[in-house]
Parts: sequence; structure tokens; C-alpha cells
Amino acid sequence: MSKQRSGDFLERILGGPVLWTGLVIMTLFAMGPFLWAFSASLKTRAELYATPITYIPAHATFQNYVEAWTSRLTPFSRFFANSLWVSSVTMVATIVISTSAGYALARFRFIGKNTLMLVFLATQMFPAVLLIAPLLSQWYALGLIDTYQALIYSNFSFTVPFTVWMLVGYFESIPRELEESAMIDGSGRFGAMLRIIVPLAAPGIAATAIFAFVSSWSELLFATTFTSSTNMRTLSAGLLYMAGQYEVQWGQLSAGVMISTVPVAILFTFLQKHLIKGLTAGAMKG
Amino acid sequence: MNREASVAMPAPRAFLSRAARETLSNYAYLLPAAVCLGGTVLFPILKAIHMSLYHNVLSRPQDYHFIGLGNYLRMIHDPTFWLTLKNSLVWVFFSVSIQFVLGFLGALLLNAEFKGRAFCRTLNLLPWIIPGVVVGLVWEYLYQPNYGPINDILRRVGLLRVPIAWLSDPTFAMAGVIFANVWRGIPFFTIMILAGLQSIPDEVYEAATVDGASVTQRFWHVTLPMLRPIIVVATVTRIIWTFNYADLIFVMTSGGPANATQITSSYTLLTAYTDLDFGYAATLSVILLVIMLVFTAFYLKFTKGVESVSG
Repeated sequence: MSKQRSGDFLERILGGPVLWTGLVIMTLFAMGPFLWAFSASLKTRAELYATPITYIPAHATFQNYVEAWTSRLTPFSRFFANSLWVSSVTMVATIVISTSAGYALARFRFIGKNTLMLVFLATQMFPAVLLIAPLLSQWYALGLIDTYQALIYSNFSFTVPFTVWMLVGYFESIPRELEESAMIDGSGRFGAMLRIIVPLAAPGIAATAIFAFVSSWSELLFATTFTSSTNMRTLSAGLLYMAGQYEVQWGQLSAGVMISTVPVAILFTFLQKHLIKGLTAGAMKG
Repeated sequence: MNREASVAMPAPRAFLSRAARETLSNYAYLLPAAVCLGGTVLFPILKAIHMSLYHNVLSRPQDYHFIGLGNYLRMIHDPTFWLTLKNSLVWVFFSVSIQFVLGFLGALLLNAEFKGRAFCRTLNLLPWIIPGVVVGLVWEYLYQPNYGPINDILRRVGLLRVPIAWLSDPTFAMAGVIFANVWRGIPFFTIMILAGLQSIPDEVYEAATVDGASVTQRFWHVTLPMLRPIIVVATVTRIIWTFNYADLIFVMTSGGPANATQITSSYTLLTAYTDLDFGYAATLSVILLVIMLVFTAFYLKFTKGVESVSG
């Protein structure tokens, strides 16, 4: 290993003090805004607007969380349930749709297959604002404004292309012989896919699932545009609504921020290995 | 479907040949994805092009009529449009270049071996996973002139005497939104470059060290060239994403003050969302799409060049 030849003075400096200083500064910068929001969410109203400002709450209280969660004007309990439902359904449906399409693109010969792959890739480069006006009039015409369906269908526009693209790579890395032998043993192609390929591709499917969930959870523009009643808002749309409502209540807003952040942060902490592998695999290939 | 067909028609020759039936069932796997993308991407894009040819302000339905390329002419004569295009360039250039440099440094730090590396990585990647609206609101709070910590810290260390309202000051607003965007985007480059660094085999470094290469020489002559493909892909992806990204500006400044932070995608969004001018918003979005397609075409041509050089 190169580390054993530490004759290089610069190398020792880089490995020691520079590394540690860099790590501390970087981590503080990354975590600072979270810590501030967390601290603010625990402050009393008086402390939030006191000068000079405090960094650690003098009398930590969960009052802001209780108020945000039960508020009638901005019911975060309802927003949370909406986000959870929309993201979960989007995730499950995306997996089913993309597994099927990804499998087909990885295994079958099609006329225009390369063009189709290019379409899936190009779709990811389209601006979301391009879809707002036409989708709004489309959902309006179909009577889907203020429904979960409008949000879930709209989310497909960004979850499906990316996850198909990711899964094609995963399926291609699994040898064909595996499901061919299962098909000789009497399973149909579909059964072979479900029983042989899907379990083997589980890490890839998990990555696409997390991606679909997290990106739906964060989605703002569709959720803001396609819902109008408070009870249909997701966390992102609800937060924006709250910030624009009246004089900004930083305490409740910070509590709302933490409520919106913690679930995806936990999900990410436990599943980041899969997600990062899936995200970078595509770039490494290209 | 196949089974039904063979039961219903016991004739020696099926309606469709075996190969044709197989092709059909193969396409069936693609059907759900095709329906999804047709309904939520392809049809809406065609619809957007169609909308861009009409005078269509939702609050004035009686004025709805075909105006051909009228919206496009309006755009050419719209000084705000050209301003937003210039702002988009500033926004993309500074966001992506600073994210790249800091993300690269972060990847080098997190690639070193130390105790607690996995935990440290998780903490540093978190800004990337959280909702955009959260990023926008938290940074709005951080910048807040009276109760925000940025002004407070700058005053405590003596860099500022009077607090600055960063986001409502035309001089600082763009820097303010870019800085928030940088914070959220650094992890993307860190993840990509970290993956690239880990794919470089140790033997390459060992060989370079045996040949007497110093740590800086190894960086310039081994690490950078081997990372080049992933750097190109990551940067291009990020440029496209940043150019299209409207959420943060929408949340933090709505393009203000006086359009100082208005980029083309947020201008498009606000034209639809606030002005309810769907015809003009569709026109702007079609132009956004064209810009992205041209950029992508150049990129694909360029990377083919890269491949033929390195291969």
C-alpha cells in the first residue's frame, strides 16, 4: 500500500491535520442548517424572537411540534399522512411498472429498442415546469384536481424513466441461463421473471424503490399546483403554504421542517448503500 | 391471452404465428411504462406545444384564441426573458462549479480511511436527500436579517456592522440562492466522485508510488485522468438539472427582488402559477426544452469524441 511509504512530508500532512480539519469543517457546514432548524423547533416563542439570538434553546419544549401536528390551518398530521400515501403508492406502482419494462428491455429484441432507451434517458432531462401547465389542464379535464391520483400519476413522469433506466442495467448483469433453465422446467416467462430474476435483482429494485419514494416525498411543484384544499396537501406543499400564509412562524415552521426531513433521513441512513450503488452504476457505465 | 386464443381456436393454424404472438406478449411487458410516459410526459409535451400557439390566460377565458407564433414573438421582445436567460447562466455556472470543487474535496476527504467514516459519510450526504422546500425555508431562516444566525455570526466576528437582508437585496440575492443550492448539491458530486475513486484499483497507485510519483503527481496523473468519464457525466447531469430546477428560487425569493434571481425555469413556473398565462408559460417551457435538447445533442457528440480518444 502507498501509505506505508510515508517518506513524503506532504502526504503525512494531508493524511493527518489537513484531513481532520477538512472533515470537521465539511461536516459542520453540512449539518449546520439542520442543527439550526432543530434548535429553533425546540425554542419557545419568546426565545425565537429574542435578541441576541441563542443557539441552544434555554428551555427546550416540544410545543411547536404539538402545535404544527394538530394545527387546524396547517395540519401536519394530515400532510404527513398524505405524503406517506402518495409516496408509498408511487413507489409500489413504479416498481411494478419499471420491473416489467426494465426486464423486457434487458431481455427481448425489439425494433426501435435503442430509440426507446434514448427516450427514457431524454425524459430525465425535461424540465418539470414543462409539464405543469399541460398536466394541470389534463387533470382538470379528467376531474382529478385535488385527488391523490393526480399527484401519483404526475410523479410517474420522473420516477418511471429513471428507474427503468437503472433496472435495465441490473437485469442485464444477471445471466440469461438462470431463467432459461426455469422456463425449461415448465415455468412461463413471466413466472420465471418473478421467481428467478426479481429476487436476484432485489438490491437494484430496492434502490429504485428508495429513489421513487424519496423523490416523491420531496416533490413540490405538482403537489402545489394540482391540489387546492388544505386536506390534500403533502408535506412539501403544506410547508410552502404555511410559509406563505401569515407572518412566518419560525418555530412551527422549523418543527414542520423536522417532520418532513426525519423520515427520509432515517430511510437514507439505513439504505444509502443500495441507493448510491444504483445511482452511480448508471454513470459509471456511461 | 395466448391460452384463451388456443382454446377458442383449435384449428391447426392459430390466428397469429407463434413468433408474432411472442412479439406481442413481449410488448405487453412495456405497456404499463408506455401508458405512464405517454400520459404524463409525451402527451403533455405535445399539449404544451399546442398551448404555446394560443392566447390562453386562465383568468380571461373569453380571450382564448389561436395566435400562431404570437407568444414566441412576444418572448423575443420580452426583456425579462433575456434577463432570466442571463440569470440562468450565472445560476448554473456558479452553482455547478462551486458544487464540483467542494464535492471533489469532500470525496477526497471521505475516501481516506478513518474511524467512523461510514457515519461521517451519512452526515455529509444528508443535504442532498431532503426536500427542496425544506432547503429553501431553512436557508431563508438562516439569512433572516434579525433572527437569522448568518448575520449574527458575521456581526460577532466583526465582519458586519449592520445586518444585511440577503435575499431582498438585489446585490446579494442571487449569491444567496446560489449558496443554498451549492449546499444542497455538494453531496451529488461527492457521491459520484467517491464512486469513481473507489473504482480505481490500488495497484495503479502502488505502481505510481514505486515509480517515485509524489502525492500531487499521483493526483494529477493517475486520479484525475481515471475519473474523467465520471466527472463529465456528473457535471453534465448537474448542469441540466440545475438549469431546470425552479423549486429553490420559487420558495426563497419567487425570482425577486425585481427579477434579480429570476431564472428561466422559475419565470416559466411563475408565469403559469401566478399570472395564469398558460399560453406564454407553455411557450417558455418549449424553449427550455429546446435549449436542453440542443445542449444534450452537443454533449452526446462531445462524449463520443471522448470515448474515441480514450478508447
